Amino acid sequence: MTDQTHVIKTFVVDEFMPDVPIEQLDAGEDLLAAGIIDSLGLLQVIVWLEDTFDLVLDDAEISPETFRSVDAISALVDELRPKSHATS
Amino acid sequence: MSWVEASLSDRFLERVRQQPAAPALVWDGRRISYRELHAIACGAASRLETPELADQRPVGIKAKKSPQAIALILACLMVRRPVLLASADLGTETLRQLWAQAGISHVLTPEVGAPGGFTVATGDVPAREDGVGARPAARCDDVAVMLTTSGSTGVPKIVPLTHRAVRRFTDWASERFEITAGTTVLNYAPLHFDLCLLDIWTTLEHGGCATLVDQDRATDPGYLIGLIADAEVHVVQAVPMLYQLLLHGAPDGGRPLESVVHAVVTGDSMPAGCLDALFGLLPRARLYNLYGATETNDSFIHEIDPSHDRAPIPIGRPLPGVHALILSADGRVLEGAGTGELLVSTPFQTEGYLSEALNEGKLVVRSDDPDRRTYFRTGDIVRRDGDGVITLEGRADSFVKVRGVRVSTQAVERVIATHPQVVEAAVAPFSDELSGHRLHAVVRRAADSDLHSLSLRRHCARFMDRVAIPSTVEIVTTPLPKTSTGKVDRRRALPQSRAYPSG
Repeated sequence: MTDQTHVIKTFVVDEFMPDVPIEQLDAGEDLLAAGIIDSLGLLQVIVWLEDTFDLVLDDAEISPETFRSVDAISALVDELRPKSHATS
Repeated sequence: MSWVEASLSDRFLERVRQQPAAPALVWDGRRISYRELHAIACGAASRLETPELADQRPVGIKAKKSPQAIALILACLMVRRPVLLASADLGTETLRQLWAQAGISHVLTPEVGAPGGFTVATGDVPAREDGVGARPAARCDDVAVMLTTSGSTGVPKIVPLTHRAVRRFTDWASERFEITAGTTVLNYAPLHFDLCLLDIWTTLEHGGCATLVDQDRATDPGYLIGLIADAEVHVVQAVPMLYQLLLHGAPDGGRPLESVVHAVVTGDSMPAGCLDALFGLLPRARLYNLYGATETNDSFIHEIDPSHDRAPIPIGRPLPGVHALILSADGRVLEGAGTGELLVSTPFQTEGYLSEALNEGKLVVRSDDPDRRTYFRTGDIVRRDGDGVITLEGRADSFVKVRGVRVSTQAVERVIATHPQVVEAAVAPFSDELSGHRLHAVVRRAADSDLHSLSLRRHCARFMDRVAIPSTVEIVTTPLPKTSTGKVDRRRALPQSRAYPSG
């Protein structure tokens, strides 16, 4: 698991299920189906992502599918994060 | 066939003839004309009538909102195939029980590009158990659509609605809120909510345009304000949460939404303190508090007076054709002012739950009623004042509204208690500014178990609608406080909870 995935996982656990040992949450687990993140919780996640990874999420990126699991959230961050070197 | 007798789909077809190019739906920034919607529906209807799918039994649709889903429902109405609309967020076990209870033949899922615009899942349909299950309360060919509503056990109750009942409602709604050709109506609610009978079905019957809120973006204030402004929405009907979100997204008044002329609040009590801001946001709108239930559709309405009304907003007076009674604690009909349980009988109501056994105690004919009317026991405790205006006081049972959805805290407790590592549980509602209520659970786990909130939530997700899963969970090992009769004492287990909604 990458550092980034671990950071996201830690946030999700601390914020939404602080009683759960972090290793119990699988990075691919469906957070929406289990009611861990609901549509209002989504807003909390978005704010945290923007602050933590210095991103701006526009409307097109905000759909529950994007936040379905820790892996999905990490993939979004990878996609949006400013790269340190330009790619052609 | 006269307009008065015509079914919903007949009236829709008439609109297609009269105004084929007019917009029927707005979805994802795109207008879909009556002609186009009709074409998609015809494709679905053709497939429904093929030997593969033709059947007397109802079909089930897991209703995630889209134009294809609406076309599919239209197709079912066009071929007179009763359709059960279920929430896309139901737990897998619950869904299976629901399909079994209704005896459906196929589960249909709208999908662009699939034949007829939908896929069929026979795998989801449980084998029919003989001797079990329901005889429809109304003849099958009278039933237009079946909706669901929470029961206290966790499995939703199925509510069939006849074509006649639906028509009576759309007649009232179109007149009351001036929905006609060219009227733009916002649809906020999910497709399986009875609110859609106004937002979508009244609109399509009368040549209006239903502007669909994407369920995935339903809590994004910027999106919602933009949608209402760009589509120039005239009529809005929604739970208080939508209005709260609009106000959050438009701080200091923002840009007022001038196109809205009728704004209906329904599904839950309007919270205190935001009325002035709401009138500022919707400067040309008349604002209403509309009260109803899935079993009866709407029964009471109150137009909110900005200079006079404060919370708690009354539910007001009965709709035309609605009869209402208030029963005092001793079961007697209350005359004049006072408090008691509200019973209603509406022209739009169901003839009975699909499972007739459920009618007992809920849909009642009073022995002292010469008209032998069937009344629905709402379970709401109300107060009637000297002028006959009615205000909600609380519930007679364990139901609360979470984001406009009726949830039984008792049902949630029961489901939690079925987890093998749970000894006992207490669930209570806490007032929440945005969602009406959120649920908090205190759960005592077995001494040697490693139960945590995630495993508990996974368990809940299988057996209940997602909206009913408690927002917060506290897991304990000490016994929960008990009443003198040995039952879990909720008030002591969850002391900060308020049993009834505020306002």
